[in-house]
Amino acid sequence: MQPFAFVHADSVDDALATGGRDGARYIAGGTTLVDLMRLEVMRPRSIVDITGLPLTAIEDMRGGVRIGALATNTGVAYHPLITTRFPALVEALLSGASPQLRNMATVGGNLLQRTRCPYFRDGVSPCNKRAPGSGCAALDGYTRSHAVLGTSGRCIATHPSDMCVALVALDATVHTRGPSGVRAIPIGDFHTLPGDHPEIESALLPGELVTHVELPASAFAARSRYTKVRDRASFSFALASCAVALDLRGTAIRDARIALGGIATKPWRAREAERWLLGRATTTDNFRRAAAIALEGASPRPDNAFKVELARRTIVRALQRGAS
Amino acid sequence: MSESFVSGPSVGSAAPDLVVPGLERRVSHAEPRVLAFVRDGKLTEPVTELPTIRAELRGLGAELVVVSPGGVWSVRADDPLEPLAAASAELAAEVSDAAQRYGVTHDEDAVFVIDGRGVVRFNHRLERRGRALWATLTDALTIAGRAAHMREGHDARQRVLFTRREWTVTCLVVGCATAFLSACKEQEHRPADRRSPPAEPAPPDVEVMLRINGTVHRLTIDPRTSLLDALRERLGMTGTKKGCDGGQCGACTVLIDGKRVVSCLTLAAMVGDRDITTIEGLARDGALHPVQRAFVEHDGLQCGYCTPGQIMSAVALIREGHATSDDEVREQMSGNLCRCGAYPNIIAAIQAARRTRG
Repeated sequence: MQPFAFVHADSVDDALATGGRDGARYIAGGTTLVDLMRLEVMRPRSIVDITGLPLTAIEDMRGGVRIGALATNTGVAYHPLITTRFPALVEALLSGASPQLRNMATVGGNLLQRTRCPYFRDGVSPCNKRAPGSGCAALDGYTRSHAVLGTSGRCIATHPSDMCVALVALDATVHTRGPSGVRAIPIGDFHTLPGDHPEIESALLPGELVTHVELPASAFAARSRYTKVRDRASFSFALASCAVALDLRGTAIRDARIALGGIATKPWRAREAERWLLGRATTTDNFRRAAAIALEGASPRPDNAFKVELARRTIVRALQRGAS
Repeated sequence: MSESFVSGPSVGSAAPDLVVPGLERRVSHAEPRVLAFVRDGKLTEPVTELPTIRAELRGLGAELVVVSPGGVWSVRADDPLEPLAAASAELAAEVSDAAQRYGVTHDEDAVFVIDGRGVVRFNHRLERRGRALWATLTDALTIAGRAAHMREGHDARQRVLFTRREWTVTCLVVGCATAFLSACKEQEHRPADRRSPPAEPAPPDVEVMLRINGTVHRLTIDPRTSLLDALRERLGMTGTKKGCDGGQCGACTVLIDGKRVVSCLTLAAMVGDRDITTIEGLARDGALHPVQRAFVEHDGLQCGYCTPGQIMSAVALIREGHATSDDEVREQMSGNLCRCGAYPNIIAAIQAARRTRG
């Protein structure tokens, strides 16, 4: 691990004053940052400890919920406001990592979780995300875990978060505070596609701090589910996952959200599939058609071609769970 | 602290009209525009910030319109500054109405980016914290530019922001990308060579007080020190084991304020005054903790290396109360790996301890 200066922030203003400095990073749970610092994939010059900031509250907000950025995964997953209103978020959080890591990891950090691509993490392979312009070892490498949606010629790394997939299906908004003020960023705009600049992963600017996430009240939140498929029964990243949220009248679909994880370079919203389902019945045939639409743009590689069919089946299962 | 623009136009919705009195032309939204509502009664010319502001506007392909009760200004990338309206009662009234339509209250400043179709693409409430207006606006423009790049740069299907001319989009992508790439390179994306010596002298050590199993230990440590290394290497408490050192095996599990965490990913400097419990702290007056006893009775180990972590995790699991069935215990113990495969006996030990506790 490279040396860094350690700064403890006593207030949000204090954090912003130090967090905006060159090479500074905020730290909360540390489950991504300390890991990647030890691998020397990330080498911040200073880290700003924000765990003392008053950003842990989970509160009712006009029928929706406002979740402080420092609320832990465990704190959110078992909170009555979440368990009663947003089941997909509970399922997503509890399907991720281990109890120890969930006790440490925070909502803000989870939004900024970094890829598990082995070529990114090994510290030596060409990787445009870790060392811009150095190339992408995955393109000619072993790609079983890599993305089939949202890829570019420079990066095919999968976004690893479960929580973010649920947030996409639940129309979350990420609130930030930065050097010049506050912003409300729709979750769909928060994560960015790799394109030519895989090193840029979110809309956050240097020094900008996630303060809280808002989940609005909606007709589909109560009937939301998260379905995750992985190599082992627990404590494993998704090969494919799907968050759905449905607003039904009888068996007719009035509104639908479908978000995908484990197969895309960012938490992926399947808008075309959602649109196709509107007004249709909750039949398996319709779910299969929607799943096919969701994967239409997929660009698989030989090692991860199985993910296309796996993702389709995951979507169908998630929709069946949501409708049942 | 911060709410979204609840009453104003949200991102993706149509921008309300803005009519500037005393001018022939209505400030329409036929071209990309950055609209800034500011409280200042009197605007002064930006001096030091102007080049940056112009560069950002060139990148955005947009005009900046600054609206205040004391006047309206237009700033473009290549034209002189243009006052659009001077202070008047009529202006103050119109600005007040417009601000209301945009959901901006009289005691705040806000920036909206409106595309060539009159759709709000970005909104931003300013916080000046004692800084000058133009300095804050410059930062806001930079953020708007970055946000535009985010939306536009990567996905042709989402290219809806600035439709004035195709070259605008190109300028935007190239301009922002270059700026941010160089910024990122400066910061942390230097190619990682694991064996490279640190570029600068090591930052100062930090003093910490760790309360472990009820005893306070005062240490001066390198800020890189994990709680695990502080326990083992500085305090000689080697009961807590180092397995993967990356949060994947659970051998280093300890309790902080009763909650199980992996001590390898916990920086010792971040523990503060919370209570740390390690495997050494479980026994009372020479008597093993019930979970320790159960592991002995059920032979919940083979080589024993993962056992302290298994036991700490099991103690927390029982307290948490989320697991009752064997499957639930397996799921809730998934953060603790056992390479020997002693899982059946580990589950049996935990279930026995859980039932005894009632």
